[in-house]
Amino acid sequence: MMATLARADLESLLRARRLDRTLTTAIPTSPPSAAHDDLAVAAAGVTTLDASLGGGVPRGQLSELVGVRSSGRTSLMLRMLAAATARGELVALVDAVDRLDVASAAAAGIALDRLLWVRGHVSANPGLCRDTNQRALEQAIRALTLVLQAGNFGLVVFDAADVPADALRRLPFTTWLRLQRMIEGTQTTCVLVGSERMARSAAGLTLELSAPRAACGPRRFTGVSTEARLIQARHHARAAAALRVPLSTAW
Amino acid sequence: MPEPQPLFACLYRPPGNHGGHGVHGEDSGSASVSPVLCVASAFSPRYERHRDDLVSIDISGLGRLLGPPRAIGEELRRDAASRGLRVHIAIARTRTAAMILALARPGLTVVDDGGEAQALASIGIGILDGVKSRVSSLTDLPLAAFRHWGLTTLGELAALPSADLAARLGMQGLVWQAIARGDDGRPLVPDVAEEPFASTLDLEWPIEGLEPLSFVLTRLLEPIVTRLERRDRGVAVLHVELRLSGSPPPTHVRRLELPTPIRDVRTLRTLALLDLESHPPPAAIERVTVRADPTPARIVQHTLFTRAVPTPEQLSTLVARLNALMGADRIGAPAEMDTYRPGAFGMTPFAAHASASSVDSRPRRGADPVGGPEAFVAAPHVVSALRRCRQPVPARVAVADGRPVRVTTDRRGFAGGAVVQCAGPWRTSGEWWTFGDRVVPARSGTSGEPGRETAQAFLTAPAAQTSQASQACPARESYWHRDEWDVALSDGAIYRIFQDRDTDAWFIDAVVD
Repeated sequence: MMATLARADLESLLRARRLDRTLTTAIPTSPPSAAHDDLAVAAAGVTTLDASLGGGVPRGQLSELVGVRSSGRTSLMLRMLAAATARGELVALVDAVDRLDVASAAAAGIALDRLLWVRGHVSANPGLCRDTNQRALEQAIRALTLVLQAGNFGLVVFDAADVPADALRRLPFTTWLRLQRMIEGTQTTCVLVGSERMARSAAGLTLELSAPRAACGPRRFTGVSTEARLIQARHHARAAAALRVPLSTAW
Repeated sequence: MPEPQPLFACLYRPPGNHGGHGVHGEDSGSASVSPVLCVASAFSPRYERHRDDLVSIDISGLGRLLGPPRAIGEELRRDAASRGLRVHIAIARTRTAAMILALARPGLTVVDDGGEAQALASIGIGILDGVKSRVSSLTDLPLAAFRHWGLTTLGELAALPSADLAARLGMQGLVWQAIARGDDGRPLVPDVAEEPFASTLDLEWPIEGLEPLSFVLTRLLEPIVTRLERRDRGVAVLHVELRLSGSPPPTHVRRLELPTPIRDVRTLRTLALLDLESHPPPAAIERVTVRADPTPARIVQHTLFTRAVPTPEQLSTLVARLNALMGADRIGAPAEMDTYRPGAFGMTPFAAHASASSVDSRPRRGADPVGGPEAFVAAPHVVSALRRCRQPVPARVAVADGRPVRVTTDRRGFAGGAVVQCAGPWRTSGEWWTFGDRVVPARSGTSGEPGRETAQAFLTAPAAQTSQASQACPARESYWHRDEWDVALSDGAIYRIFQDRDTDAWFIDAVVD
């Protein structure tokens, strides 16, 4: 009995000092305490997704939103930004390829005066000057670093959805570890949007959107149906593969 | 030791006396100081300027230095004469009595203790008009009413019963009665000389680069910030002037408008260096001058219930760093434009006031939802969004029965494919009324659409200038005329494409994502 209590005290002390990861087996940590605790999670603004994730995207962690083209990544990203600005938070979007459609952002409900928009120079078709893209991507990463260092942004999004995959792969892996370390323990949520996973083990939560099914009416598209699958969740109790959330977009 | 009784002197330069010489301000941009003010400042730091020709001075305590009031008055007259001035001087225990006597009587007038009312009694009531014209803070003067009642002197006005006067003229009557008695309605408000917040440093040898300049800027900013803190002021605009090497020595001047009053040395230095990094001086620096335009400091009231946001200093530094990294036109807050032009947007400076959110992160009980009547509400679906191509991607579109059946491009990342579903066309056009350099080549087989000839008549550029490049990519002026389609391809992507009605060229404008 005494030994059990002493072990529990020791484990809680290690957890508080963030030394639990030095053990051969990491001590499972408790999930975000309350379903709608604003201090632990940032609601994405989609009821089904927030309910499945235990309130939203965790704060103080890198999260990823990946998927193929037209899978709804941008729609979900804008929804998250709108939810954050509605909470009174400042948000930032590092738009590596300068793809933001301002009309779509306004339609999603984003308070535009609370959005810091950083427009990158990465070109989807660099031609022979491939190094240009690498330099521009590194510039975008530096911009992201500056924003995270400033701190106190509620949500920071790095939109690299249309960045050439080879340019992303050439980034050192420590880039994401460094960014994760930068926001650890803060109230900032950082979301990386891409066509494939970038942060890997540095990410706390990874959502993958499946191939879309376009819904078309007699004369116009009515929306897109897709599915969000939880690939990785460092602090989520449920098994990752079991979590699938249907998503739909509508004009 | 008994406190010295107040004693005031008033200097008045009558019209027509344009002699005297003032002093030019140290700043070359300022006008010369009035000679009457020069006389006043030579005797006491507490003086109030009513106009350039009328100044009140607090000379309490000067008796220990110069002697009785008449001797002080003689010194004032002697000093004014040495500057070429002929002034009326009056000395009394109240500022108001001294002012009226200086306006009314030439030469030197000294009033005995307690004799202000008696000294003013015989002065004509019209003198009040002169007082009102020179002291703008006084209430309206009912001079017509006084004359209508038959009052001719200040003594008669002072002798009126106060209650009856107040019943007829209200508070303004009592104010002017007190003036007629020589009573002060308010204390003297001394003019405070504008303190310059500037520092200059001449370098022993010219420096190049921003790193050594960083130390110089810190050394110049620290005393400025200290003086600002004493005055409870912040920097609204920071001027950095660099005198460079060369003959004649050129000057590199930068002006930084700060979003909020700042008086942190490190932040000011960082902002100045970031600005100079974007606009570097072309030569070595010989002299550095830093000047700050002060403004009342920002009042900050912290609360426990609002979410933490970056401070204005942090935001200013962040935006300045991002501007230096990405370019000033790439950073800001997006803004919608009042136009139907697809993809139009504007950018506004990301202001620090957006950070001063008074919206609680948790709505209070009974309060309206966050954001007001159109508050954000979580929903099971999201609004479809577009990913806009700033430069539309040229595409090859196969059309069958008037509908696109295949879309391909040469652009990496836009593989294309067969069209599985499509919706459209949606014809959109706009700003055809703008007169510009738009190139509109003649369409082969044009059947003459209604209004088209009229539109062409307004266009000035000849068709011969049409080039392959301009046909492949639409010109970037404001005019547009296109048919839009939403197409879902076999590879799963959903694009918004359009056909330019003038060139028949197809482009991918956006991706539905």
